[in-house]
Amino acid sequence: MAECVRVDSSTSTHTMDKSITLPPDEIFRNLENAKRFAIDIGGSLTKLAYYSTVQHKVAKVRSFEHNTKEAASDKLYEISVQEEVTARLHFIKFENAYIETCLDFIKDHLVNTETKVIKATGGGAHKFKELIERKLGLKVDKEDEMTCLIKGCNFVLRNIPHEAFVYAKHADSEFRFQTTHPDIFPYLLVNIGSGVSIVKVESEDKFERIGGSSIGGGTFWGLGALLTKTKRFDELLQLASKGQHTSVDMLVKDIYGGSYGSLGLTGDLIASSFGKSATADKEFSKEDMAKSLLHMISNDIGQLACLYAKLHNLSRVYFGGFFIRGHPVTMHTITYSINFFTKGEVQALFLRHEGYLGAIGAFLKGAEEDNPNQYSWGENYAGSSGLMSVSPDMNPMQRARSGTFDMLEMDRLERQLVNLPLLQDPSSYIPDTVDLTEDALAREYWLYCFEEALDGVVKRAVASQPDIPEATERAEKFRQKYRHKLQTLRHQPFAYGSLTVRSLLDTREHCLNEFNFPDPYSKIKQRENDVALKYYQKAVKSLEELSWEQRQFALVRGVLAGNLTPSVPCEQRPWLVDSYDQWLERLKGPPHKCALFFVDNSGVDIILGVMPFVRELLSRGTEVVLASNSGPALNDVTNGELQILTERIAAMDPVIQAGLREDRLTLVQSGSSSPCLDLSRLDKVLAMVVRERQTDLVIIEGMGRAIHTNYYAMLSCESLKMAVIKNSWLADRLGGKLFSVVFKYEVPAGKPSQDSAALTPS
Amino acid sequence: MLLSSTVDSTSTHTMDKSITLPPDEIFRNLENAKRFAIDIGGSLTKLAYYSTVQHKVAKVRSFDVLFVSVSQEAASDKLYEISVQEEVTARLHFIKFENAYIETCLDFIKDHLVNTETKVIKATGGGAHKFKELIERKLGLKVDKEDEMTCLIKGCNFVLRNIPHEAFVYAKHADSEFRFQTTHPDIFPYLLVNIGSGVSIVKVESEDKFERIGGSSIGGGTFWGLGALLTKTKRFDELLQLASKGQHTSVDMLVKDIYGGSYGSLGLTGDLIASSFGKSATADKEFSKEDMAKSLLHMISNDIGQLACLYAKLHNLSRVYFGGFFIRGHPVTMHTITYSINFFTKGEVQALFLRHEGYLGAIGAFLKGAEEDNPNQYSWGENYAGSSGLMSVSPDMNPMQRARSGTFDMLEMDRLERQLVNLPLLQDPSSYIPDTVDLTEDALAREYWLYCFEEALDGVVKRAVASQPDIPEATERAEKFRQKYRHKLQTLRHQPL
Repeated sequence: MAECVRVDSSTSTHTMDKSITLPPDEIFRNLENAKRFAIDIGGSLTKLAYYSTVQHKVAKVRSFEHNTKEAASDKLYEISVQEEVTARLHFIKFENAYIETCLDFIKDHLVNTETKVIKATGGGAHKFKELIERKLGLKVDKEDEMTCLIKGCNFVLRNIPHEAFVYAKHADSEFRFQTTHPDIFPYLLVNIGSGVSIVKVESEDKFERIGGSSIGGGTFWGLGALLTKTKRFDELLQLASKGQHTSVDMLVKDIYGGSYGSLGLTGDLIASSFGKSATADKEFSKEDMAKSLLHMISNDIGQLACLYAKLHNLSRVYFGGFFIRGHPVTMHTITYSINFFTKGEVQALFLRHEGYLGAIGAFLKGAEEDNPNQYSWGENYAGSSGLMSVSPDMNPMQRARSGTFDMLEMDRLERQLVNLPLLQDPSSYIPDTVDLTEDALAREYWLYCFEEALDGVVKRAVASQPDIPEATERAEKFRQKYRHKLQTLRHQPFAYGSLTVRSLLDTREHCLNEFNFPDPYSKIKQRENDVALKYYQKAVKSLEELSWEQRQFALVRGVLAGNLTPSVPCEQRPWLVDSYDQWLERLKGPPHKCALFFVDNSGVDIILGVMPFVRELLSRGTEVVLASNSGPALNDVTNGELQILTERIAAMDPVIQAGLREDRLTLVQSGSSSPCLDLSRLDKVLAMVVRERQTDLVIIEGMGRAIHTNYYAMLSCESLKMAVIKNSWLADRLGGKLFSVVFKYEVPAGKPSQDSAALTPS
Repeated sequence: MLLSSTVDSTSTHTMDKSITLPPDEIFRNLENAKRFAIDIGGSLTKLAYYSTVQHKVAKVRSFDVLFVSVSQEAASDKLYEISVQEEVTARLHFIKFENAYIETCLDFIKDHLVNTETKVIKATGGGAHKFKELIERKLGLKVDKEDEMTCLIKGCNFVLRNIPHEAFVYAKHADSEFRFQTTHPDIFPYLLVNIGSGVSIVKVESEDKFERIGGSSIGGGTFWGLGALLTKTKRFDELLQLASKGQHTSVDMLVKDIYGGSYGSLGLTGDLIASSFGKSATADKEFSKEDMAKSLLHMISNDIGQLACLYAKLHNLSRVYFGGFFIRGHPVTMHTITYSINFFTKGEVQALFLRHEGYLGAIGAFLKGAEEDNPNQYSWGENYAGSSGLMSVSPDMNPMQRARSGTFDMLEMDRLERQLVNLPLLQDPSSYIPDTVDLTEDALAREYWLYCFEEALDGVVKRAVASQPDIPEATERAEKFRQKYRHKLQTLRHQPL
């Protein structure tokens, strides 16, 4: 059955003061411009969704006009901070007890909206219809519950990379997040509300309820209440987690004295749930009965799910509904049951934002004219609570802070993101090299690093806005927010999916943006670009004086050196990972058709490292596509900056100029604003160019893109990954030392190239 | 799970345990009993033995033509000679009684067992372990344990092959509750869903090949155990009786309780149970024992029904037999299981039940012990004279019958002299039904024919006596025949099945 929403139960309605004052900075953000509303009212939780626009400060670069005299300063380009409006989806979850307070709050803060209608779903939508219409003056428009649920599910599976996870109670990391499959269909959704609905989803608009069961969350709750006189769902689960089912259940060994070998039944298997209470004349403890009940229901649902999955040939089974939502106990029993019945063939998958599916779906129904599915969306880590933020078992500190409000914010990305067409196997591609959720030592180290570095980041943020007095205050707010996120991640590393260096970096960028520090490095980048540009011609000239073979080596060293602070000498060969000889051999062969080059830093790196390398490729007859970030991240060169730089270089270098003119050198943006690189979420235009140009070489440079991410990425064409390891811990991990060099040239297996030996670190 | 036998459930409280066993009626032909098997469940014992029976048979013989001239007497005007001879045939006896009687029965057997060379008794069922020592001491036979599931399947194959109207469909509201199935020449493959304490779902592919493909811990023991906790009623039968009087809608949350009506887009009608016991989660009220028992019964039956359907579909099986103590002789559970199967398969799969389901384990255990005699090579026929009918011991049904036979239920099977097969010329052996009118389904016809046979009884008795003019006690035997047959007719009037 679909009724997950009717009996949302997990958070308490007794312990909270119902007349709270809502903190406007933190929840219901950006209400002023809210355009479109949807609400999903369950038995005890309300989920509100709205679409709003957010004004952001963004740093823009603009070339000085050549013909104006004043512009002839020593600066290369002009930086301006502009206001930009982006679209954001807000989802808030709160207890039904607050609904009136929340509606009042919304009414008061809703400034300019032309919205007349609010989409509603969930069992409670009916009950609160009148209240909503009266308070908000909006017409309540009911949407089908299951349709909303499925729509929401499709949306999160497509747009949130680490949405789905496997639960493993006794593993080092309880939550193992799944990488997004490019194709999410078909899948099975098992929604455990009062009852159970088993739904096969075949495409965006096609789904079918293929089965269900009346033995669901309501049965656990109802029978549990009758047996234990405990009326609250959470308390029942707590009882269950303390009980011993073996005192109530009849096990195989209770009947046969051991296992039943010929049938393959082990002695500990439950032969009959509650079998002992049929004849034993004794009292059973509440805990034991609750546990037996939990096992009985979870096993039953698990078996049904497996059978339907087999019958319909589906390998992905997602579980949701209030029985599951945020309850490690039920996730564990369901997982156990699925493993038992399928012998590991099917995995039980859970969703981070499962509680929001109905609200998301209802919202999408209402927003169909805006084609939300045409865009890519990204989770905003700054504005989203993590997984389990309101689970009573977990992290009471976090719970106290955020009240019982749980939030999800998603930014509409300017560009639609797709896979790099050159990924060998998109479905198994994992961008991140180390999963910090699974590696406690690595996690400790990196969380410590980011905390240590925080002061420096704050200083730089303040320094980037010297003329704005309140920058210090904002920087302080940023510090608090990011430190809090780090603390949360220390306790709940799984809060936002797999914890990785990339997610830590991205969270920092989101938080900086949140407090209007769109590009703290803009001035530094500008200065470094200025300086480096002055040496460009000299550098090119000295390279041309070298022999061919010397030059090839010098070019590589140039890229590596650009990755270094000038004072550090480049490591002597052999490097930590060293396939330079193979690369050199390859260069003696025919030129590549087209190289895709993911660039890294501003200044020396791009101008004196990358550009000469590009120049050599162009000279060899290879087309080059330079991919740079769409938005700022640290001192990485952005697409806007790179355009100006390239123009300037073209003005002094006929090779680059010819490349641009003949369209053999193309600049594209990656679609990313991260110091790392996710090859499964790249700008659609980039993917198109890569395909059109028949790209046969991918070059990735820098620690963020080639080490933290993509170190193990397998491509279907030749690839070159170059970086200097500027972190001693990481160097140690990879078996090297600080400033070790990684030069990884790989040729995919089965592609005969000149010399196809690809090296991996020894 | 299998375990039907551990929790057989008929009452052990109401009977006088020191009964005198009537030797004419039960444990017949013990004197020549050769081979024993026993299946001891949680409360019922099923005993099987093989014996030989001396029968009088009428033989005809042509007069020898060569003798005509020699013996004048033979040259009568009669075509052939009739003689009554003694013939020995093999018969299988199965008796079911409550565990409470086991000691009395063992003593009785010991006393009446005259000439047997048997050294071993095959045993199966959860109770076999418990009573092992007693049996060995009383009978002086070695108890040889056999695998429970193997016995169950062997027994099931045997009855499906040898008893024509073994399987039936249950339809509560039809004119006839029981619709018997004609025997398929090929009984394999089939699915056996054994609902004991737990549920075992077994796929049977051939005489010797079966596999437990699934199961569930939500079975008869769950109904009993949860029922006992919820209603403080400790007896299985009473729980079923409570259930049959209850209203599940006051405890269960229906689709219409949530959506105010049906949920059309998902194809769910308003009366469908959305959540078993869903109303007791939040409602602050007391629920009646009857209603809770009913809700529990629906919950368990529906769940088993759905699982059975899914396994049947997954393994492409259309014949699904249900057994185990949860089912055995209980119209209430047969009804809810049937309902559930119909709901989940939309009629594609029928729930089938077996008349002799309670004997399967004992039959199988016996067959295991008798393998050297190749019992499967022969055809066997149910002996109506020596067998109790379906539900003879069901407490709901026919209390008169129950009082008469105590709690003993019997099945006797005669080994037929010749192996019987289909006429090869039948167009479709699987749909062939020999009988023109099914009196179970046709109440008027049934009335008429039962009346006819009762009317004709006097004439038959007279003819029987007249056929043995020289034997003085023929009148007495004919009277016994009259009583027995009249009783059978009466039984059939009440239980046409």
